Amino acid sequence: MAPGQDTMLRSAEMSMVQLYISNEIGREVATSLGELGLVAFRDLNSELSAFQRTFTQEIRRLDNVERQLRYFYTQIQKNDIPLRKFDVDNERLANPSTSEIDELAERCQTLEQRIFQLNDSYETLKKREVDLTEWRWVLREAGGFFDRAYDSVVEDIRTSTDNDDAPLLQDVEQHHTAADVERSFSGVNIGFVAGVIDRSRMAVFERSMWRSLRGNLFMNSSEIPEPLIDPATNDKVHKSVFVIFAHGREILAKIRKIAEALGANLYSVDENSDLRRDQVHEVNARLNDVQSVLRNTEQTLHAELAQISQALSAWMVLITKEKAVYDTLNNFSYDHSRRTLIAEGWAPTNDVNRIRATLQEVTNNAGLSVPSIINEIKTNKTPPTYIKTNKFTEAFQTIVNAYGTPTYSEFNPGIPTIVFFPFLFATMFGDIGHAIIMGLAALAMIYWEKPLKKVTFELFAMLYYGRYIALLMAVFSMFTGLMYNDIFSQSLTLWNSAWHWKVPDDYKEGQPLVAELNDSGYRYPFGLDWIWHGTENDLLFTNSYKMKLSIIFAYFHMTYSLILSYINARHFKKPIDIWGNFVPGMIFFQAIFGYLVGCIFYKWSVNWNDPTNPRQPPGLLNMLIFMFLQPGTLDIQFYPGQAGVQVFLLLLAVVQVPVLLFLKPFYLRWEHNKARAKGYRAIGERSRVSALDGDDEDGNGHAVGGRHSTESDGEGVAMLTQDLHGEEEHEEFEFSEHLIEQIIHTIEFCLNCVSHTASYLRLWALSLAHQQLSVVLWSMTLGPALGNTGVAGVIMLVFSFYLWFVLTIAILVLMEGTSAMLHSLRLSWVESFSKFAQFGGWPFTPFSFAATLEESEELKEFLC
Amino acid sequence: MAQGYSIFIGLLVIVVLSVAAWFLAPKSENQIIWRSSLILAFSCCYLMWAITFLAQLHPLIEPRRSDLRKEYLHS
Repeated sequence: MAPGQDTMLRSAEMSMVQLYISNEIGREVATSLGELGLVAFRDLNSELSAFQRTFTQEIRRLDNVERQLRYFYTQIQKNDIPLRKFDVDNERLANPSTSEIDELAERCQTLEQRIFQLNDSYETLKKREVDLTEWRWVLREAGGFFDRAYDSVVEDIRTSTDNDDAPLLQDVEQHHTAADVERSFSGVNIGFVAGVIDRSRMAVFERSMWRSLRGNLFMNSSEIPEPLIDPATNDKVHKSVFVIFAHGREILAKIRKIAEALGANLYSVDENSDLRRDQVHEVNARLNDVQSVLRNTEQTLHAELAQISQALSAWMVLITKEKAVYDTLNNFSYDHSRRTLIAEGWAPTNDVNRIRATLQEVTNNAGLSVPSIINEIKTNKTPPTYIKTNKFTEAFQTIVNAYGTPTYSEFNPGIPTIVFFPFLFATMFGDIGHAIIMGLAALAMIYWEKPLKKVTFELFAMLYYGRYIALLMAVFSMFTGLMYNDIFSQSLTLWNSAWHWKVPDDYKEGQPLVAELNDSGYRYPFGLDWIWHGTENDLLFTNSYKMKLSIIFAYFHMTYSLILSYINARHFKKPIDIWGNFVPGMIFFQAIFGYLVGCIFYKWSVNWNDPTNPRQPPGLLNMLIFMFLQPGTLDIQFYPGQAGVQVFLLLLAVVQVPVLLFLKPFYLRWEHNKARAKGYRAIGERSRVSALDGDDEDGNGHAVGGRHSTESDGEGVAMLTQDLHGEEEHEEFEFSEHLIEQIIHTIEFCLNCVSHTASYLRLWALSLAHQQLSVVLWSMTLGPALGNTGVAGVIMLVFSFYLWFVLTIAILVLMEGTSAMLHSLRLSWVESFSKFAQFGGWPFTPFSFAATLEESEELKEFLC
Repeated sequence: MAQGYSIFIGLLVIVVLSVAAWFLAPKSENQIIWRSSLILAFSCCYLMWAITFLAQLHPLIEPRRSDLRKEYLHS
């Protein structure tokens, strides 16, 4: 029998499939299965380390290519060349053959060498260029200093001629030439060192010079106005030129040593100005040469990289896919003697035929006479959970998956989440205005779905992912906003009020007024009567209303969830879960909270102010407390026979506790003993490949694995390769364990009935907070501004409107929305899911290129 | 309009809508989602409306305020 259609109701039916593939087409098969993305392969070589596997060589080679591609990428980035990104959604790459991959690897090899060489020579040239530039600066700056020094020396000598104490020898020569002055430096044996140093090190340099030479030097420095480029890091560095004069050869050597230790570059400068001029010319000429060669090299490098940047992303994708293929092939078992690859994995039963067709196609294309075989095999392993989603349900399912993976074939908690999650959110976010803003944002994201998909900004991506959730939240919030009659904290007057003000004839403004109901029985038809808006006691009324609303929704939401546990028990064919868990639990819950909710509705339906029969309304909370503390006595009579009903309900609830506690463990023991008596062994002892049909009904220890019994379809019983039984262990039946488990479950259930119901009061608390916050915001900004007139009034109105609008979006929509969403999330996860879902499954992660490319962190920069 | 019995009219409307949703849900693998979501949504909205309506059916307190202007009251 063909299995039914896979829906979101449960996990798709999964089969363990076994593939026999000829060794020659292993790679092609894995590639096309990767495109298909429907099989999750098991690791059949788990005892082998990564290095012992069959295709380690290939992977290592691909790793090398990947490293080369990364090298290109860093070079491209370093040179600011735009990278052409790969569009996974719209561009398809033909599956490459092995020789094409080889070609690519070779090409990468040569390209790497070429780029490396170009880079190398570029860097050498660059270094030379920087050196020459520095030298030029030194020549210019130091030369300038020498010229200044020359002027002052001449001056000095001129003044000295007037001095009687001046040496006679110099006195003789009245006319000095420049050459004489220059000679005067060498004459007194003063040497100098010139160079360039990092500006930030200048102070340190100066100080250490001063200290080590004990002030016995003359230092001059000047800053180079334009930043120089450090060839090693490509950063801009500010440097200074320095010239140090000192006396004595040793001292000069010392200066050189210190300067070099501090990272300064020293350059030779000639004292003689003519020679210096020649030096400058020479440096300039060499600089020009170097620069032109440099430009050529750079251009070649750029051209080369620009060419690579066109194809780099595609290459990267190819290599990543290829690596994924070999990684998968490494999970296959390789039969050396028969030269076949044997693969095992999980696949959706409904898609086995598609996989078969793909295999057939690949085999035919390869022209192989050996057919590839695909077998479905029966196993007692728990299949992975695979819930098919579409773009609408995907985000809702993510809410569930964030909590846990549903057990295989149990009721998918994602289905009720689609409505309950946004609706519970809406009860906390009830405001038409805020809902409209949210809805417009969601609609915009849905309308511009395709272009917005590319946005990588993380917060927005999250919002975008949940756009359909946001849409539903907004729609429901509009409805609850109508119910609460709140639009930006104001009210809508859609219908006539059921109330009218009782105005005395001598009414003075400021006098308290009380409204009166009409006599015709007319009530405000849709939502909260607008007359409550702005009254002194409206909080009193809405609090009572919203609290009761929370309790009633708690009751319905949890009853619904409890019923789902019945559906699960029936699906897994475990009647004991119905009679031992669901029925007593349900009675317990209904006897207490069902009764409370019934009383709430009854209290609403009674006219307590009926003039013919005026009665005092009872407080429901007190009633419930008295029901437990003093069963049989009443605070205020609510309805006739109330005491008896309450005692009965209380007894009914109390009786359920021992039923919950003992029925299931004792039943399991009885069943186990009966099976033993008939000669059956425990499940683990009779574990056989195809003998598992109908083990669902055992209700034995490994209840989680209960499977929908699959019909045998002929080829089902197949040989197994390896450790199919190895991982799953079956426990012996242990009565005490079951008993303890059930005791814990009972205590938890009974306490949770109370605490979870109370937990729903957050619906009231958050909606109250939201409404009050928007009232405060209105009265602080826009509200008072509306009362002003004139030019100042207009300015104030515009200003306060913007303030109000921005704060509304930031605080009331975004912040409050997030908080309401988190609370709603909790209500789904804890209060609802804990009632029925087991979350004992493991996710189905098929081998799929699409998923590989999407999840890969390394590929992020190459994809768009 | 909008008397106490409206609560049953509302219920009837919701039941009709739910039955319609059950039968009109497009036949595909998403049928179950259409059915479950629409019926749940209708029920939730009805419940909310019913609670709001019932809470105002026999109110125990009256609106009270003292900041009303004369012009408003006599208009």
